[in-house]
Amino acid sequence: MIGLSGRRVEVVAFVLVVIAVIGAPLSGSRLFVYYFTLTALYASVVIALNLLLGLAGQVSFAQTTFMAIGGYGSALMTVRLGWNPWLAMMLAMLLAALAALVIGRPLLRLRGHYLSMATFALALGTYSFVTAAMELTNGGIGISGIPPLEIGDISFAEPGMFYILAWILCGLTLAGYALLADSHIGRAWRALATGQDIAATLGIDVPGYKLLAFILAAVIASIVGSFYVEFTSFVGPDLYDINIILSLFFMLFVGGRGSTIGPVVGAGVVVIVPQLMSGLERYQNLIFFVILLLLLLIRPAGLFGRVRESVPLSAILPGWLRASRRAGAA
Amino acid sequence: MRALAGAAAESDLLHVEQIAVHYGGIIALKATSFSVGRGSLMLVLGPNGAGKSTLLKALAGSVSLHSGRVLLGGRDISGVPAHQRVKYGVALVPEGRGRLPGLSVKENLDLGWHAAAPERRGDYTAGTEEVLALFPPLHERLHQDCSTLSGGEMQMLAIARALLTKPILLLLDEPSLGLAPKAIARVYEALAQLNSAGLAMVLVEQKAVPLPARREATIVLQSGSVVFQQDRRPSADELAALYLGGRAER
Repeated sequence: MIGLSGRRVEVVAFVLVVIAVIGAPLSGSRLFVYYFTLTALYASVVIALNLLLGLAGQVSFAQTTFMAIGGYGSALMTVRLGWNPWLAMMLAMLLAALAALVIGRPLLRLRGHYLSMATFALALGTYSFVTAAMELTNGGIGISGIPPLEIGDISFAEPGMFYILAWILCGLTLAGYALLADSHIGRAWRALATGQDIAATLGIDVPGYKLLAFILAAVIASIVGSFYVEFTSFVGPDLYDINIILSLFFMLFVGGRGSTIGPVVGAGVVVIVPQLMSGLERYQNLIFFVILLLLLLIRPAGLFGRVRESVPLSAILPGWLRASRRAGAA
Repeated sequence: MRALAGAAAESDLLHVEQIAVHYGGIIALKATSFSVGRGSLMLVLGPNGAGKSTLLKALAGSVSLHSGRVLLGGRDISGVPAHQRVKYGVALVPEGRGRLPGLSVKENLDLGWHAAAPERRGDYTAGTEEVLALFPPLHERLHQDCSTLSGGEMQMLAIARALLTKPILLLLDEPSLGLAPKAIARVYEALAQLNSAGLAMVLVEQKAVPLPARREATIVLQSGSVVFQQDRRPSADELAALYLGGRAER
């Protein structure tokens, strides 16, 4: 099958991503810059999700909950209390870490599908809460007028500047992931992902390591939540609805769980490719999802997942097609 | 007769007092007591579902005790969780060879070395070379995903990984299960070497094992109860009678 795994391929992909990131603003297209910015933000959340799912094997849907803590936390602290956006971002991040600690402790005792369902409930609950808590969040109307991040004279409300900030965040997240994955901590995560009991007898504090992954993922999600609303100056419930959660998973599975560059490419594919197909108009999404479906059938492990899990194209064709192919070959 | 709880000598490495394990309302292991001396072998035999694995897990700390206590070198470790128990020198080679797919052979060994208490860990290179000398087939596979190993090689890796934690007591859960006769012979040859070098073991198997030991005792479990406990191995006839529900002398 197509050899897309292994370190060398990831390095090549990394270089291509860097070229694309530098090249996109040079194209002069504002739309392109916007979608690349979105890619950087989603990629950061997906890298964090990858740490949790790809390394530690914990399927959690709670990422949007922590994005919402970052988003609404920043909005409330800047608009209602008039605090500095950077301070608001950092306090929201601490709040997300604290929430992850409190929520994670009991939830991470659940294994497999039970954890998924519990965190899914959390994500749905988050959406309901920010929609319903009118007094706090303005409900469906949302909160606007969130001030942008600034350093001296530089305002990150300017798309070009925010583009740089978003990719710096993505780059740092990626570097952090790569360092952790290669460390003893990453090894411990991968061990407990497939054998919690075995990991424990190898001296790994399983609940502690799971909690660490959960908190780190929450912190990144919260920073992205803050950055995003401080860029668009608006926060509303739709930023955290079910489509977003599922998109995050799509990005991860397309890119390849447990790979390093996969989440960035996956985020790019899910954000940018549909835009390239805008000529298809109404059928754009349909065709896009058919492509994704085929991709996942052929490469269940994702673009940069392990090749071992590849499925030959012939195996997914219906029987009558396979038979005719064989006849044609003979 | 066996010296049971209370009469345990201070020199015993492991002293198990009346431990029982319940899963919810189900009694997996009824009150069991025994001692394992330094460098000696405790053989735990019994059919499927007899409570053998439960007994090992209780010693490794993977399941909590309903009652009783476990003393290691005179120290009560009953309340010590599994991930800390390994620091006291208790290593488990789990049932099913402890596969960790996605991790290379070397990463498995690294995990073992990291799990040892820092003061006993020793030099990494020397430690890994020692276990690789014991199991040469692992040497060529260092950078392979451990899920590509054969059953025998995986069992060797599980033992090597456990050895790197620098145990004073090695717990083995059916190391021969599902292995080819040649692989069984190889694994047991290594275990015999380790035991004669003074490593105490609690070894769970379903049938008699090709492991000579200078000091040994045997427990046979049947439906969570001890039906045989002596300083010798049961004969084939005795074992057959015990497995079929008979009760030999205790």
